[in-house]
Amino acid sequence: MSWQTIDRNVSPYAAGSEPVLSEGVREKIRSFFPRYDTKRAVLLPALHMVQDALGHVPYKAMAEIAEVLEIHPSDVLDTLTFYTHFWTHPKGEKVVMACRSISCELTGGREVLDAIKSHLGIGEHETTADGKYSLVTEECLAGCDHGPCMLINEKLHKCVKAADVPKLLDDAKNDRIEVPRSDLFDAPERSNSNQPS
Amino acid sequence: MAKITIDNKQFECRDGISVLQAALDAGKNIPHYCYHPGLSVVASCRLCLMEMQMPHPKTQEMGWAPKLFPSCQTPVKEGMIVRFDSDAVRDNQKSCMEYFLIDHPLDCPVCDQAGECHLQDYSYEFGSSESRMVEQKHVTPKKDIGPKTLLYSDRCVMCTRCVRFTQEVSGTHELCVTNRGSRNEIDVFPGLPLDNPMQGNVVDLCPVGCLLDKDFLFKQRVWFLKSADSICPGCSTGCAIRVDQNEETVYRLKPRYNPDVNDWWMCDEGRFGSKYIHDPKRIASPHLRRGLERESANWEDLPEVVRYRFEQHVSLRGGDKVAVVLSPMMACEEAWLLIKFIRGVAPEATIATGFIPTDGEVQHFPAGCDAASAKFTIRPEKCPNRRGVEMIAEQAGGTTCDFDTFVTSAAGGAFSAAWIVGGYPSDWVSKEFGKAAAKFDLLVVQDMFENALTKLASVLLPACAWVERDGSFVNHAGKIQPFERAIRAPDGANRDGQYLFEIAGFEGVYSAERVRATMAMETAAFGEVLEAPLKPAHQH
Repeated sequence: MSWQTIDRNVSPYAAGSEPVLSEGVREKIRSFFPRYDTKRAVLLPALHMVQDALGHVPYKAMAEIAEVLEIHPSDVLDTLTFYTHFWTHPKGEKVVMACRSISCELTGGREVLDAIKSHLGIGEHETTADGKYSLVTEECLAGCDHGPCMLINEKLHKCVKAADVPKLLDDAKNDRIEVPRSDLFDAPERSNSNQPS
Repeated sequence: MAKITIDNKQFECRDGISVLQAALDAGKNIPHYCYHPGLSVVASCRLCLMEMQMPHPKTQEMGWAPKLFPSCQTPVKEGMIVRFDSDAVRDNQKSCMEYFLIDHPLDCPVCDQAGECHLQDYSYEFGSSESRMVEQKHVTPKKDIGPKTLLYSDRCVMCTRCVRFTQEVSGTHELCVTNRGSRNEIDVFPGLPLDNPMQGNVVDLCPVGCLLDKDFLFKQRVWFLKSADSICPGCSTGCAIRVDQNEETVYRLKPRYNPDVNDWWMCDEGRFGSKYIHDPKRIASPHLRRGLERESANWEDLPEVVRYRFEQHVSLRGGDKVAVVLSPMMACEEAWLLIKFIRGVAPEATIATGFIPTDGEVQHFPAGCDAASAKFTIRPEKCPNRRGVEMIAEQAGGTTCDFDTFVTSAAGGAFSAAWIVGGYPSDWVSKEFGKAAAKFDLLVVQDMFENALTKLASVLLPACAWVERDGSFVNHAGKIQPFERAIRAPDGANRDGQYLFEIAGFEGVYSAERVRATMAMETAAFGEVLEAPLKPAHQH
């Protein structure tokens, strides 16, 4: 592949273009600063907030997060690309995640994946033309005892049969994410009853 | 000092270092990619794994622990017993090498690193001759990650030395690791390329052919290169460098390890800033002015002609009208020889130190740190030997002055004869100085490129670039560092040391070392030169 070159000297967004992060999102990111020793530590919550707000985290947003956290944009890219949860390009309304790991594979995960593909008419890491569905595969969805598993908008479906796939995909109950990730950080602190008062 | 046993042999080593460093210091060839003494330890390549003796949890009897330990991450401890010479260690090395080569394109014939590549070397020494990989290789295109560097992702072994360098040494953070696991790649944030004043070091750090220098790309196979130990003339830091040349052409400069000056690093300005040495516009032969004409002279007659002209001038006008300007681009030995000559014909002659080129501000690295915590410093004084020529001038005694004073008094007509040494890579003659120089009746100019001064010269001598000379520079901290000659002077030119040696009245072939020995008899300081360690602390 050495005959192909990706030019990294050019920016993926125009200089001086409108900021993509609203003041509200920035404020929410800043409100997390007191929780940690360093601003850098707010990176993961910040990525969740931005993905919730924008649907994905474009390069411009990464640069803006870096600015708020006072780190280099490459540090944001480093962390973001480590997690398959974060999207750098727009995803569909419903994200379908099928397990590709061994337990699901043994219990018929491949058939489920094929059924999703044929029902939606897209391949892995693709989005349907109408922008409704995106399909990705994940290493493990932590439901090995009930394989094959799949997630639709972060909701786990266990013991999925290939025949049930169209019904699950069309189910209106799966239309929205019930608890956005960034809200998980706002969970009330658990009181420790063992601690002497 | 801790005593440890490596492969049944006892070694004494410094406290606090890793077992890997101790083994490398002891001369063992332990394969490693991610470990570099100038960077933090990540223990990710798993090539340097060793066996270690530990007390049995029940019987407390010492025995070989069942697992392998990364030697780069294990600090030495008194009485420690480790071994690299075992089947388990060798098996691990072999398996690791197989993994490293899983996606490797094996494009050595077109790879610049071939010949100094640690994938090649380690495959030969520790790997196996064949691969069991039958699946398709994961191929990634190369990336243009900056104005001076290319990244061939498919050759990468993910040692992350380059990433740690930008985080810990240059402090500029451009590089990062994207994706995860087998899809790991080194990358920059698009639009924020690798472009810092020290970025060239990532190419030196890369143990394989992943990061390559655009300047050196496809220029030369490394096994044709011959090296000379030199000192960078780019600024007053005086980094220890290696000049790689083939057939009298310098292809690249690389840093040499010197813990007292530059550790393992050098800056881009020094690395790429010496292209002028092969400039065809360089003055390459001596010239004499007879009347209005300038004609070329020959080296055999030159010492006599120069001496005669100065002697005649002194007898007519007096010795106090003579001045010599020592350039901070000169080596100490050359300055000393020139003073020897000038004080020989005119003991009252003024010795001035030359023009000091400066540019910008002092730059400490990691970016933004202060002088005390700096790991590397680029200094604004863009010449290698100001301290040196000042030392020589001071030691010579008599009338000395700095360059500005010289220009003012020359403009006032204080001198009628001068020997002015330049040797700067760019035009350095100011208008006032050009005007002042027109007042000299006898003007010897020793310079590299034509300028206002060379046009006025009664005797014009070609100055050689530092790679064509040998001698010593004194850096900002007063350390005297010798440098070797890497290439011959261009056709027609003669190295400065040689003709100054002859003009100063010596016979034979100039040797910087011998001149230095003579100098040391006058100034003890010149007996104490700082040589970079002969054996680098780290092989790659």
